[in-house]
Amino acid sequence: MNEEYDVIVLGTGLTECILSGIMSVKGKKVLHMDRNSYYGAESASITPLEDLYKRFSLPGAPPESMGKGRDWNVDLIPKFLMANGQLVRMLLITQVTRYLDFKVIEGSFVYKKGSIYKVPSTETEALASSLMGLFEKRRFRKFLVFVANFDENDPKTMEGVDPNKTTMRDVFKKFDLGQDVIDFTGHSLALYRTDEYLDLPCMDSLNRIKLYSESLARYGKSPYLYPLYGLGELPQGFARLSAIYGGTYMLNKPIEEIVMEDGKVVGVKSEGEIARCKQLICDPSYLMDRTTKVGQVIRVICIMNHPIKNTSDVNSCQIIIPQNQVNRKHDIYVCMISYTHNVAAQGKYVAIVSTTVETDNPEMEVKPAMDLLEPVEQKFVSISDQYAPTDMGAESQIFMSRTYDATTHFETTCDDIKDIYKRMTGTEFDFAEMERKKNDIFGDAADQ
Amino acid sequence: MDSRYEIQRRAGGGSANASPALGAQSRRRKMPPRPADYKLQIIIIGSRGVGKTSLMERFTDDTFCEACKSTVGVDFKIKTVELRGKKIRLQIWDTAGQERFNSITSAYYRGAKGIVLVYDITKQETFDDLPKWMKMIDKYASEEAELLLVGNKLDCETDRIITKQTAERFTSRISGMRFCEASAKDNFNVEECFLKLVDDILAKMPLEIPNRELSNSILSLQPEPEVPPELNPPRMHCC
Repeated sequence: MNEEYDVIVLGTGLTECILSGIMSVKGKKVLHMDRNSYYGAESASITPLEDLYKRFSLPGAPPESMGKGRDWNVDLIPKFLMANGQLVRMLLITQVTRYLDFKVIEGSFVYKKGSIYKVPSTETEALASSLMGLFEKRRFRKFLVFVANFDENDPKTMEGVDPNKTTMRDVFKKFDLGQDVIDFTGHSLALYRTDEYLDLPCMDSLNRIKLYSESLARYGKSPYLYPLYGLGELPQGFARLSAIYGGTYMLNKPIEEIVMEDGKVVGVKSEGEIARCKQLICDPSYLMDRTTKVGQVIRVICIMNHPIKNTSDVNSCQIIIPQNQVNRKHDIYVCMISYTHNVAAQGKYVAIVSTTVETDNPEMEVKPAMDLLEPVEQKFVSISDQYAPTDMGAESQIFMSRTYDATTHFETTCDDIKDIYKRMTGTEFDFAEMERKKNDIFGDAADQ
Repeated sequence: MDSRYEIQRRAGGGSANASPALGAQSRRRKMPPRPADYKLQIIIIGSRGVGKTSLMERFTDDTFCEACKSTVGVDFKIKTVELRGKKIRLQIWDTAGQERFNSITSAYYRGAKGIVLVYDITKQETFDDLPKWMKMIDKYASEEAELLLVGNKLDCETDRIITKQTAERFTSRISGMRFCEASAKDNFNVEECFLKLVDDILAKMPLEIPNRELSNSILSLQPEPEVPPELNPPRMHCC
C-alpha cells in the first residue's frame, strides 16, 4: 500500500488473474488484492472439505465417509476447457501450462426422452448411436464435412451460404436435417443453451461447431480438458505469472473504498492506507453500484460415491439436458469429475448441476438432472445473481468483469477478458501480448 | 507442474562416438547429454528476507548477490546432480515474492517432492513464523514430500539469536524433517543441505526408473499435442 501502481486489481477470480498476468507481462506495475484468504474468488476450488461445509452453512463436520478433508478441492463453478479454445491458447502462450496437469474429460452425454445417450466421439460411435436414424446420419455427415471445410475467406467453400446473412435454420434446411439432428447439433455440438441461434446468421454457429470438432480431434474421447486439483488452479497459475513479472499479491485484504477524483479512480483504500493507481480492474462484488443484474444461475454441487448411471462408469463427463427435453428455455448441464482428478477423496465423485434460473423455484427446475445422479451423499445448493458492469470505464478507468455465466466452458470468460483489455488499452487484444517477454527459467536447461 | 516433459524424445540421436579406426578424426564428438533419470520439484519457502533466493542461487549458479532485494523474474532454476548413480534434474521453484504478504498460492505446494523451509538465524520472527509455514505444508503439500529446515546466514554467527538446539527441538517434533544451518553468502553447507534433501527423496523412491509412473492419461499441454495412437479416432465425418 501507500505506493503508486499502474493497475490495481481487486478479486483473484480467473478473469482478474489473467488480466493481472497480461498487465504484468506488459511491464505494468500491478497490485492484486483479494478480500478472501484464498485465490480464485467465485472461480475457486474450495479446500479442505470442512471449508465447503462451512461456506454452505452445513452444521458440524463432514462425516468420516468423506475421507480426509484435505483431499478435496471442490469447484464453485462448473466449467471445462475446450481443448482448442481460447483459454487453452492463453495457457500455452503464457506457458502457465508449466504449473498445471490436465486430463481429458472421458465423455459427453445428452439427455433425450428420459434417457442419456453418449455424444459420439468417433466414427464407430456415430454409426452405432441411436441419437438419429440411419438416413439422417448420412445427411448429417455431409453437413459436418461442409462445416469443416467452410472458410469465411474462401467463397468456394461456402456453397451459397452467407455466414453473415443466412440463418442457421436455413443451413439446416439446405442439408435437409430433421429435428433430432438440429437439436443435437445446436445443443451438443454448438453448445447453445437456447434455440435463439436458429434465426440468427450462421457464422457463430459454424464456428462453434468447428471449435467442437477441433477440440474433439485433439485428444479424442471428448473436446474437454480439466486441470488436476480443480479449476482453482487456473487463476493461481496466472497469478504466479503476474508475480514473476513483478505483480504484488495480497490476500485477506478488506477493501474499504475505491477512491475517486473528478469521476476517475485514483486509488484503493484498505486498512487505513491508500494505494494509488491509474486504472482499476475488479469483479462486480467490489463495486456493486456500478453493476446491473443480468440473470441468476443455480448450481448444485453433489457428492456421490458412485459414477453416474448409464455412462459406462466413466470417471468424468458432461451431461447436456436440452431445454426442449424438459420444457424450459435454457439447457441444464451436469459436469462430473472425481477422485481421479485429485478433487475428492478416494472413490468419490463430484457432479455439479447448473442452469439459468427461470422460475421462483430453482431447485425444482434442476430435478431432471438431480434424478440422474441418485443417490447423492451430500448436496450444496447455491443460487447466484449474475452481474454485468454498467460503467465501461471510459471515464472512470474502472474496468469491471462479468459474473461467470452458466455456459459449460470458458469461451465467454475469454471474450470478457478480451473486451476488458480493449476498454483499458484502446487496442484489440492480441494473444501475442501474453507471451513472456523474458526468460525466467535458469540453470543448466540443457537437458530440458 | 512440468514433470511430464517428454524427456524420452530428447534422448538424442544415438551414439556419437566415432570409430577408433578413423585415426586423427576419432576425437570423440560431444555426446548428447544423457536424459535425467528423475525429475524432482523442490520448493523453497520461508519469510521475506531470510535468503531463499540466495540459497537457491548459491546452489544452482554458485553466485551470491548482496544487494538483491525481493526476487522478480525467476520462475524456477534447474540443476542437474548425480546421486546414487542416478542423474537427477532438480527444478527449484522460487516464490515469486508472493510470501511478502502471505499470499503464496496453494498450487505452489502441490507437486513438490522436497520442501526447503528457511529461516534467518539472526531474526527471531523468521523462526517464530515457522509454525505458520508448517500449517501451509500440512494443508497443501503432498504427504510424501521430504522436509528440510535450513537456518541461513551462518556467516552472521556473532548476531545469532536462534540456537541450534532450539531449531533441533523444533524439527524433532516433526517426523522426517531434517535440519541444517548454512550460509549462502559464504557458500557454507549449501550444497550439502540440498543434496541431503535430494538423497532423502531418492531413498523413498522405487528402484525402477519411474519414467511415466502415473497413468499416461495425464497431459502436460504442449503446443503440438501428440495424440497417443490409442486415442486417435477418425473424425466423425471423415471418409
